[in-house]
Amino acid sequence: MQNAVSQPKAGESYLLWFIKIVTGLLIIVILFIHFLVNHYLAPEGLLSHAEVVAYYRNYPIVPIMEGFFLVFVVSHSLIGTRSILLDLNLKKNIMRVIDALLVAIGLVATGYGIWLLFAVINWGA
Amino acid sequence: MESPAKKPNTRGILDWFDPRGRQVGGWGFILNRLTAIGLTVYLYLHLVMLGKLAQGPEAYDSFIAFAKQPLIMFGEMLVIIGGLYHGLNGVRIALNSFGVAVPAQKQLLYGVLGLTLVGSLIFGLRMLAAH
Repeated sequence: MQNAVSQPKAGESYLLWFIKIVTGLLIIVILFIHFLVNHYLAPEGLLSHAEVVAYYRNYPIVPIMEGFFLVFVVSHSLIGTRSILLDLNLKKNIMRVIDALLVAIGLVATGYGIWLLFAVINWGA
Repeated sequence: MESPAKKPNTRGILDWFDPRGRQVGGWGFILNRLTAIGLTVYLYLHLVMLGKLAQGPEAYDSFIAFAKQPLIMFGEMLVIIGGLYHGLNGVRIALNSFGVAVPAQKQLLYGVLGLTLVGSLIFGLRMLAAH
């Protein structure tokens, strides 16, 4: 079966490949809880602003879980994007620029997401 | 340490769409890549949209009302289908990568497709019932 067993590809380190696999599995666990609470148990499928704020304040584990979810999903998506870009057989110096760009996107997205979590928790306080 | 496991393919992304000699697992791989791209785009759009939480109830709740339009719901359904497939197929890949159930990988892929179908139907019906 073609491409059935995943292995690091040329240009991809074992560490990045391993992080991609592990974060993928962790995302599934947290996404299941995230979906259940945010979209399945909510009466109309989506929580209102007041419900999100109350939910985060009443269950402090939730913003912590969402923070980890953010880190896992950003890491997984950016390492995955890099894997796809490796298929383009780009020159090494271009890949270095792309790597720096992906790291910057990851840091900005994570920083923004964590700022947002605190903004929701502290809303109206 | 970089893996010496595979040489880069010669035709890049075009190889994804070459049906010649491709087996079921190859199509599973392509579908995994396409769902990955779709989910990545969705992830960053979702993150931007969640910024409305920081703007207050009016901004966020009016967006939630907007998100109940049929076109947006259709997009959400695509995200659910893509997410289910990508997640379940990811479990299959992880198992196989660590040497688990390698001889049954084809059957597992069919299982992934079946579960994606069933899961999507459950979510879709739930979504329709809520609106």
